[in-house]
Amino acid sequence: MKRRQVYPFSAIVGQDKMKLGCVLNAINPKLSGVLIRGEKGTAKSTAVRALAALLPEIEVVEGCPFRCDPREKSKLCPDCIERLEETGELPAARERMRVVDLPINATEDRVVGTLDLEHAIQKGEKKFEPGVLADANRGILYVDEVNLLDDHIVDVLLDSAAMGVNTVEREGVSYTHPAEFILVGTMNPEEGELRPQLLDRFGLCVHITGIHDEESRVEIVKRWAEYEQSPEKTAEKWAGEEKKIAEKIVNAKKLLPEVAISDEILLRIANISIALGVDGHRSDLVMMKAAKTIAAYNGRSAVDPADVDACVDLALAHRMRRRPFEDMALDGKSVETLLNERTSRKAQSRY
Amino acid sequence: MSALAKPRKRYRPPVFPFTALVGQDLLKKSLVLTAINPFLSGVLIRGDKGTAKSTAVRGLAGLLPEQKEVADCPYHCDPDDPFFMCHECLERLDAGEELPAVTSPVRVVDLPLNATEDRLVGSIDFEHAILTGRKKFLPGILAEANRGIIYIDEVNLLADHLVDILLDTAVTGVNIVERESVSHVHPARYMLIATMNPEEGDIRPQLLDRFGFVVSIEGIHDPAMRVEVAKRRESFDASPRLYLADWAEEEALLRDLIVKARKTLSRVEIDDRLIKLISVICHAHRVAGHRADIIMEKAARSIAAFAGREEVAPEDVHEAAELVLPHRARDFQEPDRREDDRDSREDKPQNEEEGPQEGDQDSSSDGEMEDKESEAAEGTQSADGKNTAAPEPSPNPGNSTEKAGPDPGGYQEQVFKIGDPLSVPTQDVRFARDSLNRSSGGRRTLTTTNNKTGRYVKATSVRKNNDLAFDATLRAAAPFQKQRPDVGLAVKIKEPDIREKIRQKKTSNLLLFVVDASGSMGTRLMTETKGAILALLMEAYQKRDKVGLIAFKASDADVLLPPTNSIEIAKKMLEELPTGGKTPLGRGLLVTYQLIRSQLRQDPTLLPLMVVITDGRANVGLDREKYYDGPQFGEIYREIYKICELLEAEDRLKSIVIDAEEKRLGSFGRSKKLAESLNAKYYVLEDLVDHRGILSAVKSERGLAEEEKR
Repeated sequence: MKRRQVYPFSAIVGQDKMKLGCVLNAINPKLSGVLIRGEKGTAKSTAVRALAALLPEIEVVEGCPFRCDPREKSKLCPDCIERLEETGELPAARERMRVVDLPINATEDRVVGTLDLEHAIQKGEKKFEPGVLADANRGILYVDEVNLLDDHIVDVLLDSAAMGVNTVEREGVSYTHPAEFILVGTMNPEEGELRPQLLDRFGLCVHITGIHDEESRVEIVKRWAEYEQSPEKTAEKWAGEEKKIAEKIVNAKKLLPEVAISDEILLRIANISIALGVDGHRSDLVMMKAAKTIAAYNGRSAVDPADVDACVDLALAHRMRRRPFEDMALDGKSVETLLNERTSRKAQSRY
Repeated sequence: MSALAKPRKRYRPPVFPFTALVGQDLLKKSLVLTAINPFLSGVLIRGDKGTAKSTAVRGLAGLLPEQKEVADCPYHCDPDDPFFMCHECLERLDAGEELPAVTSPVRVVDLPLNATEDRLVGSIDFEHAILTGRKKFLPGILAEANRGIIYIDEVNLLADHLVDILLDTAVTGVNIVERESVSHVHPARYMLIATMNPEEGDIRPQLLDRFGFVVSIEGIHDPAMRVEVAKRRESFDASPRLYLADWAEEEALLRDLIVKARKTLSRVEIDDRLIKLISVICHAHRVAGHRADIIMEKAARSIAAFAGREEVAPEDVHEAAELVLPHRARDFQEPDRREDDRDSREDKPQNEEEGPQEGDQDSSSDGEMEDKESEAAEGTQSADGKNTAAPEPSPNPGNSTEKAGPDPGGYQEQVFKIGDPLSVPTQDVRFARDSLNRSSGGRRTLTTTNNKTGRYVKATSVRKNNDLAFDATLRAAAPFQKQRPDVGLAVKIKEPDIREKIRQKKTSNLLLFVVDASGSMGTRLMTETKGAILALLMEAYQKRDKVGLIAFKASDADVLLPPTNSIEIAKKMLEELPTGGKTPLGRGLLVTYQLIRSQLRQDPTLLPLMVVITDGRANVGLDREKYYDGPQFGEIYREIYKICELLEAEDRLKSIVIDAEEKRLGSFGRSKKLAESLNAKYYVLEDLVDHRGILSAVKSERGLAEEEKR
């Protein structure tokens, strides 16, 4: 099924926030994922599957099932450590970042990994067989309809997402390996909400709705009809656009470590968090990282206030204290109004 | 071993010819359209038993042109289409192998309601593992149905975890398996055809959206046609072979048409203006997302192709709208009503009296569906010429139906509006911050089941159920294989290796509202009560709880809403709940008791929670003929307390009594006594400030129930 041509990312009409959320994660894995919430039929899954084609290459240890980073010696899997100790070096290879699916009916043994059945039968030895979490190390772990995921699988995800490590103690095997993945989920809120702990694991969150503009709706139908008739043609038609985005991502990835952020901007971030009454500091960190990534994506090595504004609702919508039945959104308020409200409140209290 | 590799031949009973079906034109049309264009993603047939639903579906399979497939591929890949091929076939192709092709009829694979998850998605091939010591994927129903049809009878009764799987695979066309020690990906592009009887509850909107078309059918009323139905069936049963021969020509004709239409389809053009019309229609019906637009475009093109035209006409769009929109137009009301509308419309395609009406989000006029449909018709007419602006998002000035505001309160004096469940009073921060509440309400109630149903979550070495966990058993046995004496099998399994599955099933709570709808309940109280119930309904849906509503007023009590999981129906019933008259509290409780008993008989794992909202001022006894005035008045309460004893004796039942008495007019404290005799939690409605108070009261009670259970 390698040859299946997915719908091109750039051919998705509108939904810029969602696309931005996806691209930012492709550039900066530290953003720890994006949750796409939206009603039925709004290209949620299409976007994530399309993203896979745009992901940049990463450097991996050749032959390592966890795709360890040969330069990151502190995050090697047990086998790579052994290899390093024996040979003194780790052969590097380049591989595209992956999107690994976690189907909602997955069983725990396949998610965390378990005893290698065939090896045990033939050799009588206990060997660890990597699971989905191993596959997803340094890649994207994609859960479609993430709100329908079983609680016991969610527990496992939370565990390893928090530590970046998957520890397996089951059926006589004992194994620990790195499991740092970008968690990407799609969900339809009509089917129920996510557990708050899981929600917090997603760095960014986008809420999307159908497009109401007539022209765009027509465009959606036309493009999709075209794609269904001939996926190859659609792919060809959008190849240029796709390449542009892919290159932009690669360049941004290179630029990212150099992006600087001024104290002034950090203060702005802090003020926004306070103005919106967000608990904890994760929001500040995510906003900072997202703003940096946006700057890099736009080819700049310094963060603008506009970069911060562009990521506010991506980073905060799901972190604000919510009341029941309230939607996760900023009510369309601009960041300026928010900050102004706050300064004026401050001024009032002072005098 | 070799027996496993070969697909087993199945018994195929003779199928009643599709073309011999009497009437049900809409159903036949929709099935034919999906036969022409498989991308239309299936049909849901709503209707009573015995309306030729299954017969039509099976007949359809006989009409589909045979398709080429790889002879020995479990997924029935198309040898000429590497695009959607399974991994194995691709590899063979890459290795330069010529794939052996056979032609075979399109398969209709049944998904029985009692299917297990592992049979649906596939699992580890246990036999293969024991014989060879190697893991192999055993394809399931999804594999069998690739490039075919999955047929689900009574889809609304399908277990939730199976629905989840269908939701996922129906759109992606890929089945990703990560379970029971196997990891496998294979194509699963199937057409979903299902039937349901709306009386038995609705299906999840998310799954509904996966069906391209929804058709509502009912039995034929024309006597002459009924006779014809009986005759045809009779002669088919007498000799299927002869009967089939009689209809062979008709069948061949339709088959040819389908084949031709399939070829035409790729050439069918659609004008941009018509695509625009589609978007306008869809948008006017406020469908969710864009799937409706996309399917409508495909449907219109398929309709044109079937008619032999290479260009889509406005009528095609109209016809497509009829099939695509009914289940997608948002805020449609009670489904049964919708069917009535459809039927009346079939006789009279365009309803002249009703002008186009843009349905307001909260509008709930009965004729809304009808309005919408005629509006679609309007839109189409306007398309062939001058006015493409079509439905304006404002009510037509000449509209006879008054547009109700956000509440339907206008049309009957004593129907109080529903307190708005969505607006949150800003001062009510207490509830929002109550994390305890959230955690108790945030999880569904899970129980471990003992009857081999539900989702496989873990394996255990405790034997009690004979529900073998193949993967875990194999893994348990695997490390000891070297030591065990050779018996000719690759894997030698001994008693201690055996693991069983622990399955989990979401049991639903049953939330029963017993509402006093007598005249003594004030306006404000009723509005708040309705608001609270609606809020609970919305939550109940997400947890897949069942909700029922019993109202008592005048001299009787009615089960207004039999336990259902259809929030749409519940909302509708609630909106229409009229009040007035005396207070037959006893009858209300008795009816509730009977309902709870029968529900528990159906599902002994059910956790019912009864919420009685009343002012407690009963003034009618059980026996309507008998007078309870004067000295007899105490009799009423004696009856009530007796029924309370019965209810109290139900172990699984929890109760809440919400006292709706307006205390400023003096209090009798009857509700409190009622609560005591029911051993129920007692709340005073006025103390609960607003309906959010009722909400948290119910939630905390349910939370307790769940805690206890665990």
